[in-house]
Amino acid sequence: MQTVLLPVHEELYALPVRWVREVLAAPRITPLPTAPPEVLGLFNLRGEIVPLFDTAALLGIGTTDAVAFTVVLLGPQGSAALTTTAFPHRAVLDVPTGRSEHHGTAGTFRIGERVAVLIEPSALLAPDRRLPAGSA
Amino acid sequence: MGLDLKEVRALFAQEAAVRLSRLGNQLLMLEQTSGDRELVDSVFRELHTLKGSSAVAGFDDISKIAHDLEELVDAMRDSPDAVAAETIDVLLSGVDRLNAAIEAGVGPIDPGTDAGPGTMPGPHAQEPLPRDPAPAPRTESDGSGVVMVPMERLDELVRLVGESASAHLRVGRMLQERFRIDPASCAEYTKLSRSLNDLQDRTMRTRMVPVATMTDQMHRAARDVARARNKDIRWEVRGADTELDRGVLHRLSEALLHLVRNAVDHGIESADEREAKGKPRQGAIRLHAMQLGSEVIIAVSDDGAGVDTERVREQAARQGVDVEHLTAEDLCGLIFRSRLSTAAFVTDISGRGVGLDAVRTAVEAVSGRVEVRSEYGVGTEFRIIVPITLAVLRCLLVEAGGQRFAIPFHRVITSRRYDAAVVTRAEGRPVVWVDQRPVRVSRLADTLAMSPEEASDGPVVVLGDTADSHAFQVDRLVGRRDVVLKGLGPPAPHLPVVAGAGVEPDGSILIVLDPPGLIRRAGRAAGTDAVPVPAGRRSVRRHQVMVVDDALTVRELQRSILERAGYEVRVAGDGAQALSSLREQPCDLVLTDVEMPNMDGFALTEAIRSTPALANVPVLMLTSRAGDSDRQRGLDAGADGYILKSGFDEGSLLTAVNRLLGGTP
Repeated sequence: MQTVLLPVHEELYALPVRWVREVLAAPRITPLPTAPPEVLGLFNLRGEIVPLFDTAALLGIGTTDAVAFTVVLLGPQGSAALTTTAFPHRAVLDVPTGRSEHHGTAGTFRIGERVAVLIEPSALLAPDRRLPAGSA
Repeated sequence: MGLDLKEVRALFAQEAAVRLSRLGNQLLMLEQTSGDRELVDSVFRELHTLKGSSAVAGFDDISKIAHDLEELVDAMRDSPDAVAAETIDVLLSGVDRLNAAIEAGVGPIDPGTDAGPGTMPGPHAQEPLPRDPAPAPRTESDGSGVVMVPMERLDELVRLVGESASAHLRVGRMLQERFRIDPASCAEYTKLSRSLNDLQDRTMRTRMVPVATMTDQMHRAARDVARARNKDIRWEVRGADTELDRGVLHRLSEALLHLVRNAVDHGIESADEREAKGKPRQGAIRLHAMQLGSEVIIAVSDDGAGVDTERVREQAARQGVDVEHLTAEDLCGLIFRSRLSTAAFVTDISGRGVGLDAVRTAVEAVSGRVEVRSEYGVGTEFRIIVPITLAVLRCLLVEAGGQRFAIPFHRVITSRRYDAAVVTRAEGRPVVWVDQRPVRVSRLADTLAMSPEEASDGPVVVLGDTADSHAFQVDRLVGRRDVVLKGLGPPAPHLPVVAGAGVEPDGSILIVLDPPGLIRRAGRAAGTDAVPVPAGRRSVRRHQVMVVDDALTVRELQRSILERAGYEVRVAGDGAQALSSLREQPCDLVLTDVEMPNMDGFALTEAIRSTPALANVPVLMLTSRAGDSDRQRGLDAGADGYILKSGFDEGSLLTAVNRLLGGTP
């Protein structure tokens, strides 16, 4: 499976390439008041307003203090973006090496000596799987 | 608000025209692509929906034809690859029979634009063209040169043009900053500016209709009330060629009709009374529309008795309102409060179940405001002031917590300097006096849960919605801006305090706040129940019902019945749309059809039951499927009740809804 690897702190997450629209350097973010903590805000992508999600917060592995790059996804409900803490790379995933536990993920894979966890964006970004809006 | 049979049939005609046109097209495609199961299902759904809608509109013969054709298509579902040309012949001839039967029932039908949820046909969809001398652009009666375009396409066009204009401004800024070229000195740039301005203007105008499209209906309403009340009136219209957004005008239609009926019923005196007062025996009802900048003003006035402010004062005092310091103008404004308007100004004719508070609500729903001026014994004038279009929202820009926000202007009551010396406290909360009333005050940054900063002495902005008002202290006022508003749908989270966002000329994003959401959030933080609010200003929450049906006729009939009974109603055109809306905001009861595209009623019910936040919402199914197995399947899916369209009437619907919701709206 063709994927883009998203470095999040010390970990690697893989996003199927068919979801990926483009990779950007950290854009200028406008905070969205009262949004849950995993929503960092909105940015302007050539006139389109796109929400940016903190990948680490969505996956429940802390928060991202410094956004290095953002990966823009084109999902069934529209565009959204995920943060990374280093430059994303392409990678081909072979057979899974095990199951994953976080919601919005679909198994673990071996990349050299590292483990990549496959992301399922439709589940990860589903409104009812995230924290309730306005909880901040 | 209610739909009578004639109106239901007019809606049905509109819906049937679209469905028959689609059906004919699908049958021809089916003939060419035998074996397309989806297409067969789609034909089945069209016929099934026509059957249900025609039964609701009281056309049993049409329903019977649709039923026979539906049976034929149902049999095809088992072997869709064997659709014979003879079968298509029978079906096409059946469509012809449906066309003929519908024409015989409701007159010639016109396949217009597709009507989705929330896109009711205009109030004059079935009316003759206005006889008013005003011009009626783009409506040549022979139909030549006229193209029907769905509203969504026009909305998309308006949005894209708005974005192009924003991008153009950004290019200008880039020329200046990166290349040190003054865009104003660049001929190509200024030419593009002019073209874009023209394009924006023309695009906006494609959505515009003249007020004349409503005036015949209002004239008729005035005439009917005058006849019923034995009054003699003269109807005058000025500015009927004033244009405004079709959606805005449509959503104002009930409010305008109410004001006109009210003016005749309560404003104009009897001919003898008028004569005794030295007035002409014939009363005058005037409708005057005009454009003022980016707003349209529609005034409904009469030369009748005027508002008896002393009577309003007595009624208000009886309801606990402090009327001591209120001026005559303030007292006039009180008639928009629900209990006052119902008690003092609504009768069976002018009221139609709608009070002046509902007029205000309807006007505010299109970002407008309503004002009243009255002189006792001389007459009354109601002025509805609305933006020409909803695509651009006039906003007040403020700064709070170091971030810039836009607040829709129509919700801003006033702004003023913050004077700590005049802030008092009530029940543990800071309060300021606004127009002799105590209004709670909060820091906007606190309400928006932004990082705490040093206390500032910035001004306060007082915001109001239909039920309440609240003052918010901001860091500073920045100015006024027309914002091309973009809604924030999924995957962005739904936030009650955010109405949407716009892109600034420098490319930054401006968050547009939602004042009712802000007021609710600030009220919760301040402990709403403990704060002294004048009587009549508290909103009473009504039960909310979600109506899900792909048939416009049925959907609007249900909405009409439920709204008349006092329920708040939301609508969706299929199960998927309903589920997405419910996940964002649950309701108290779901009333759903079974056969629908994308997600049917069974799947919707199952999805509701498996969603923890919605699992306890009662579901009532309304369908034309009479089979026991279907009934059982609905109940198995988790439905709480089942009504057949064939046995459907206002009483049975309300009984079922009241039973599930515990009695009252």
